[in-house]
Amino acid sequence: MTRVVAEQDRVAPPPQLPKRLGRRDTKTVREALAGWLFLTPNMLLLGLFVLVPLVWAVVISFQKTNGFGVGEFVGVANYERLISDPLFWRATANTLLFTIIVTPLSMGLGLGAAVLFNSILPARGVFRSILIVPMAISGVATALIGVLVFNENNGILNTLIRFIGLPSVNWQSGGSAAFVSVVLVTLWWRVGFNMLIYLAGLQGIGPELYEAAELDGAGSWARFRNVTVPLLGPSSFFLLILNVIYSFQVFDIVFVMTGGGPQNATSVLVTYAYETGFVTRDQGYAAAIGVVLLLITFVFTAVRWRTSRGRDLAE
Amino acid sequence: MNFSRRHFLIGSGAVTLPVLLSGCGFAPQQSTSSSTGSKTLTFTTWGTDAELASFARVIAAFEEANAGAKVELNSVPYGQMFTNIDAQLQAGNPPDIFRVPYYTFGSYAGRDQLLDLSPYLESGFSDRFTDAAWAAVQGNDKPFGVPHHTDTSAILYNKAALESAGITSVPTSLESAWTWDELSEVAATLRAAQPADVFPMAYNWQGNGVTRWLSLLFQADGRFLATNLTDPAIDSDAGAAALEFSSSFFTKNFVPPNNTIKSATFASDTWYSQTSAMVWSGAFAIPDATNTLDFEWGATFAPRGERGGGDFGGNALVATADTANPELAAAFLDFVTGDMQMRDFCETASLLPTRKDLSESGIDFDVRPELAPIFLGQASTVRAEDSSQVASPDMSRIITVLQDNLESAFAGSTSTADTLKSIADGIAQPTGGS
Repeated sequence: MTRVVAEQDRVAPPPQLPKRLGRRDTKTVREALAGWLFLTPNMLLLGLFVLVPLVWAVVISFQKTNGFGVGEFVGVANYERLISDPLFWRATANTLLFTIIVTPLSMGLGLGAAVLFNSILPARGVFRSILIVPMAISGVATALIGVLVFNENNGILNTLIRFIGLPSVNWQSGGSAAFVSVVLVTLWWRVGFNMLIYLAGLQGIGPELYEAAELDGAGSWARFRNVTVPLLGPSSFFLLILNVIYSFQVFDIVFVMTGGGPQNATSVLVTYAYETGFVTRDQGYAAAIGVVLLLITFVFTAVRWRTSRGRDLAE
Repeated sequence: MNFSRRHFLIGSGAVTLPVLLSGCGFAPQQSTSSSTGSKTLTFTTWGTDAELASFARVIAAFEEANAGAKVELNSVPYGQMFTNIDAQLQAGNPPDIFRVPYYTFGSYAGRDQLLDLSPYLESGFSDRFTDAAWAAVQGNDKPFGVPHHTDTSAILYNKAALESAGITSVPTSLESAWTWDELSEVAATLRAAQPADVFPMAYNWQGNGVTRWLSLLFQADGRFLATNLTDPAIDSDAGAAALEFSSSFFTKNFVPPNNTIKSATFASDTWYSQTSAMVWSGAFAIPDATNTLDFEWGATFAPRGERGGGDFGGNALVATADTANPELAAAFLDFVTGDMQMRDFCETASLLPTRKDLSESGIDFDVRPELAPIFLGQASTVRAEDSSQVASPDMSRIITVLQDNLESAFAGSTSTADTLKSIADGIAQPTGGS
């Protein structure tokens, strides 16, 4: 029966209003034209500053360069070199580990803060502002603050640790501790942004849904789990993609705080590409590292896009 | 004409865009325009206030001495200096003249980016410079720049910290400079006398300062490149001695654990905060230390190994290969290394001259003039065969190789033999040596 109705619906002709169609067509064309006009500046800038360099980087990745003049075409030699380069694999592993740690923590802490500051809390505006402030500071400035905090000789953190009688931590000379310090500073920088997006998502959820859930006997955890989390699906999808991309692209905090050290314990793909491209001027190889990074990001985004059910969920 | 908001926005955009771009330091240089017949040079540099003021005085004097000549000084932050210069060279609109560290000089000279000054300099021009300085601006036996000033590392010390450990005197002449063993004894005395979180010294080899480790290699009478400047020569007894001596700083707790090559904490910061009693430092730090520190401090010579030695720090001035005014550029480089000009620059900026006459007669720093003889004396230990290696076209790559391997050796992850072999292999890769 259902199938028959559906079949009828499908063959039913659309209402014919020939006289008004012409006007509608003109209006549609005008709207499309206006849309394209609005898009054009962005498309031009995107093309000029993103797509052209992107294609250029792919071209350079097939070249041997010394920083000046035209490179020499070497086919996939730079990519072959990547396979046997232990520093590249170390940087890739560090980047993946950094992403795996930072992404869920940023989102989890951001969600927690958003839920907290969305509730009736005294001076919540102040707390929100405090969390968002790091967003307004550049990554380099944030990292410089990180250096002051994590200086293992006389930094604020080790001074506090020693004050309470604990042994100081080798934040700069120990590989694991240095990695943790980079993660902590990144979280401080990024949680505010995650909170902001989740807060916007939370404010779009109507209170009647919570009332209905409460009437159905749902406790606070059940309401959070079955109402809040699913309806924040689009926010979570957006933040997941953005956090992963940001994590893959992490540069300034690592570059300033640790320079990739000690012993490459915090070296990530972008710092390695930067050093290769701008310090040793091996730009072909640096471009190959960049292209690998791009491919990893593409693959992740495509997989997440296809597997995400919550990205378009709305109330 | 009806002046609408749209017109205003378009006009504002057109006016502000070039301003914004030039603010980033990325706006194309004004043409030096031999095509227009003008005698204008563009000169890009970074610098402290004292250095820039001295450059401004030199430029004014040059313009007065050369009617119609004009030099446009473009000062940029050091962090952006060479990414900008590289981009400008690649785009075909570089400045006529720029300032470059000796350890970066070879990257440009060896890749045909600099002007060969041979045809433009009078014979005997090189006689004004010390042998070490002139050797540092050669590429394939041709001068591609002029050595503008140098600097090398000596030791600055906190007087109270040394006295509290019973060290009441330090060497006052090159001949009496501590030997490596004596420096180790001094460090051991300080180690025993100070709390665990205060260290005897800090070494200034962070970042590109890794070339300052070469001081120890030269003191051991070693080389990192053979005389053909292609084959690696670091895997030697001298290399092993320098590496073991520097590694002992960490194993004996003479330096803080974070005094590594890639550390974000510079040695000077460690010393400023009195976390170390001594620091290896160039003369350039004297004005800042004088203004900043509230404890009494002095300077002494770097130690001697097999011989005295030091890294050849400092900067050259170079002209770009495609400058429209090669004669004028060469004339400026000649002028800027005149005795009065170099004295003014070095005395006001606390840097060391590359001219023979000034090195011999001495200069007086504006700040702490009594320390000038120590740094001048230390600079005199630098030999031409040491500084010529730093001018290698592959120095940028060699620096990376040194950074990675020394970092690993200092952390105790790699043996001396493996480290030296790895450095030698890393050097041979770009140089094509064996």
